[in-house]
Amino acid sequence: MDDLNVKNQPALKQFVPTPPRPPRKSEKGIFGTIRHRCFNSIGNSLLTLCVATVLFYLVKHVLDWAVFNAVFIADNRRQCMDISPDGACWAGVISWFNGLIYGRFPVDEQWRVNIGVLLGLVWLLPLMSKRIALRNFILLSWIGLYPFVGGYLFLGGRFGEELGLVHGAMTCLALAFLAIIYANWILSALGKKGLNELFVPLVSRLVERRIHLLSFVAVWLLVALVIASGLSQVSLEPVPIERWGGLFLTFIIAGFAITMAIPVGVILALGRRSKLPVIHWLSMTVIELVRSVPLITVLFMAVTLLPIFLPADMEFNKLTQVLVAVCLFAGAYMAENIRGGLQAIPKGQYEAAATLGLGYLHTMVLIILPQALRMMIPNIMTSFISLLKDTTLVSIIGLFDIMLMARNIANDKDWVGMHTEPLVMISVLFFILCYSMSQYSLNLEKRLKVDR
Amino acid sequence: MIQSSTSKPSKSPSKGAGLPSSTTQKWTSLLNNDASRAVILQAIVLMLVLFGLWFLFANASENLNRLGMTFGFDFLQVTAGFNISWSLIPYDAGMSYWRVFLVGIVNTLILSFCVIVVGTLIGTVVGILRLSDNPLVSQLARWYVEVVRNVPLLIQIIFWFTVVFSTLPAPRQSYHLGEWLFLNNRGLYVTTMDTSLSWGWIIAIGLALIVALYALFRWSKPYYTVSGSRSSGFYIGLAVWVLLAGWAVWTFSHATSLSVPSLQGFNFSGGAFLPASFGAAFVAMTVYRSAAIAETVRAGMQSIDRGQHEAAFTIGFSRVQSLRLILIPQAIRSIIPPMTNSWLAATKDSSLAVAIGFPELVSVFMQTSMNQTGRAIEIIFMVMGFYIFISLLISYLLNKYNDSVQYKVR
Repeated sequence: MDDLNVKNQPALKQFVPTPPRPPRKSEKGIFGTIRHRCFNSIGNSLLTLCVATVLFYLVKHVLDWAVFNAVFIADNRRQCMDISPDGACWAGVISWFNGLIYGRFPVDEQWRVNIGVLLGLVWLLPLMSKRIALRNFILLSWIGLYPFVGGYLFLGGRFGEELGLVHGAMTCLALAFLAIIYANWILSALGKKGLNELFVPLVSRLVERRIHLLSFVAVWLLVALVIASGLSQVSLEPVPIERWGGLFLTFIIAGFAITMAIPVGVILALGRRSKLPVIHWLSMTVIELVRSVPLITVLFMAVTLLPIFLPADMEFNKLTQVLVAVCLFAGAYMAENIRGGLQAIPKGQYEAAATLGLGYLHTMVLIILPQALRMMIPNIMTSFISLLKDTTLVSIIGLFDIMLMARNIANDKDWVGMHTEPLVMISVLFFILCYSMSQYSLNLEKRLKVDR
Repeated sequence: MIQSSTSKPSKSPSKGAGLPSSTTQKWTSLLNNDASRAVILQAIVLMLVLFGLWFLFANASENLNRLGMTFGFDFLQVTAGFNISWSLIPYDAGMSYWRVFLVGIVNTLILSFCVIVVGTLIGTVVGILRLSDNPLVSQLARWYVEVVRNVPLLIQIIFWFTVVFSTLPAPRQSYHLGEWLFLNNRGLYVTTMDTSLSWGWIIAIGLALIVALYALFRWSKPYYTVSGSRSSGFYIGLAVWVLLAGWAVWTFSHATSLSVPSLQGFNFSGGAFLPASFGAAFVAMTVYRSAAIAETVRAGMQSIDRGQHEAAFTIGFSRVQSLRLILIPQAIRSIIPPMTNSWLAATKDSSLAVAIGFPELVSVFMQTSMNQTGRAIEIIFMVMGFYIFISLLISYLLNKYNDSVQYKVR
């Protein structure tokens, strides 16, 4: 009605803002910008010149060392020195490249590492597609099932013997799940029903409730059986954990920490926000204690105290101890991020959930946590980046991650004393990984802001 | 876990009338009642935790028995018998493990303190440079931060140690600044002052002079604010202060001689010594910390409303004035909490110096002493206790300060 009235009245004079004046000619264009912002005063001009000179010499020296005077092909360090005394000797890094990536994993078996890592990525690929329903389950299955596949591939052994039947069964279930995800993805692209609906007609005759779930379970078990019969024919050569190393081990530790951080963090954060005093105080104690000590002491604790505090007949390898420590550490830090998210959720959300009659678990899982986690994505990504960087600490307690492999090059008789090049190379590697992660998180942050 | 405000409304017993037997009814009503459910759940959790602790301790005592070890802190009185390459408090191999613990603590604190002070200064400057109008400067600051914070600290520490500090010339070919400062692959030798006066008095008098000067300016400020010039009382006070300070310096310089490091045989004697591992750890950690602090400072500055910049510009403040009087006082409020965390992180990060053999707490106590005594539980307990104490202390102090600078709201 208001609109109508306005239209009937004599037209009001519309407010027309004066258009902004165009920039002065001297400030236009690329030269104008440079002049206006770099040379607008004497002090600023001097500053610009100084910075430019320093930058020029810095870049020139780095390029000279790393590219123009560098040696890429040589048999040992002496030869490098003979060819070019003041350039980088990348030949050493190149000859150790395999070791930096795979550690001391047997060369003939390295394809298993490649396949395992690739499988992990392939598993997550469907998350990109908007077509697939229940994408959270893919993520959950990755957290819960992928480690079995990875463990099977990386450790090897005859199927179901060295690693036990449970591990074998879980591996088959995991692979079956992956197969179903992909079958469903393809089928949905073709406009057909998913594979899990295969048994719906049959199941619906037998039972009345949970038809779809049962049908899915039936298909899942069937596919798993097929895979099990295939895998039981295969025997992989066993690789002991002590031979894992390099970037591969770094990724395993970081990946484990990153995936375990969220569940552990959610439990600790909810515990800390709980109104039950026992649970509140327990969670708070764990979080605060772990957060106030350095990671290296937690690692030392895991390595020295776990064998003392657990039964004598339990055998531990160093990697398991480290994973326990890193998991606790990552969880405690993540808990504080998630708590921040939980605190930012308006009280109305809790009240609305209570009004709908949702219990605690439903309120949290369906209403609160999805919002809290989404809100905290930038902080969570920052935590992930620092976790990735912190994995280098395991080299101090003697795990052969990429850091220790790189330091080891200097002990090789051919490349004695070569410290700089390996360190520079892994620095660049970490920089690329961490920087791209942080750029991705910025990108995500922007996208999520648009959503709102 | 149940939150009483959000969980299901409790069912009254009358609603369960249709249930088969009265015992079941009683139980379901107990489980559906918020209060009783909370008690039951907490009891279960508590029992699990207690059982877990009992399990761990039972194992520990069994394992210790089996290995013929005992638990106790009596080992702290035992002679350590190993040397520590650098310590600020007097130490020699004949001293006890308790002394080793103290040496580790002092070295850790010194390293973190230096890192925190210098890192905060550099970080603040870089953070402000990142907001510079000059694109060259702001981009340089940006890439400094990006490169430094995306490379793991441990790599940087080892880089500085093996690539920079270990490749410095041998003691005979030291870089030197006159005869006062020598830098070589062992570390830095600096000239110090030997004095017959007690250092406690010197520091006390120095502090008293500084406080007196501050008090003088503070006292004359109201007059200065109103009139724009200093009162004559201020000048008299200043003259007295200068006389006192002059007397102090004169006395000090007469009772003090320089201790100059000089090369004797293969090593330097005299002066003070900072090992290369300290230098490498200090430089790497300072650079790393400064990048983190620069980000904090930038975020804090950017959180200020743009109108504040413009208002300061409008009333004719120079850039430095607007920073000092308008922007920084407001930014401080949002900078302090993350800055606190950064300082805590610096203290914890100092433990990474173990990788290059700097004798800090983890290195001397958690590695060397633990290997020698085998008292893993006690030693880890003590080291963690120290870090927890420091963390709680710093966060307590800064929370206090933080409360005092926040906006006063109802």
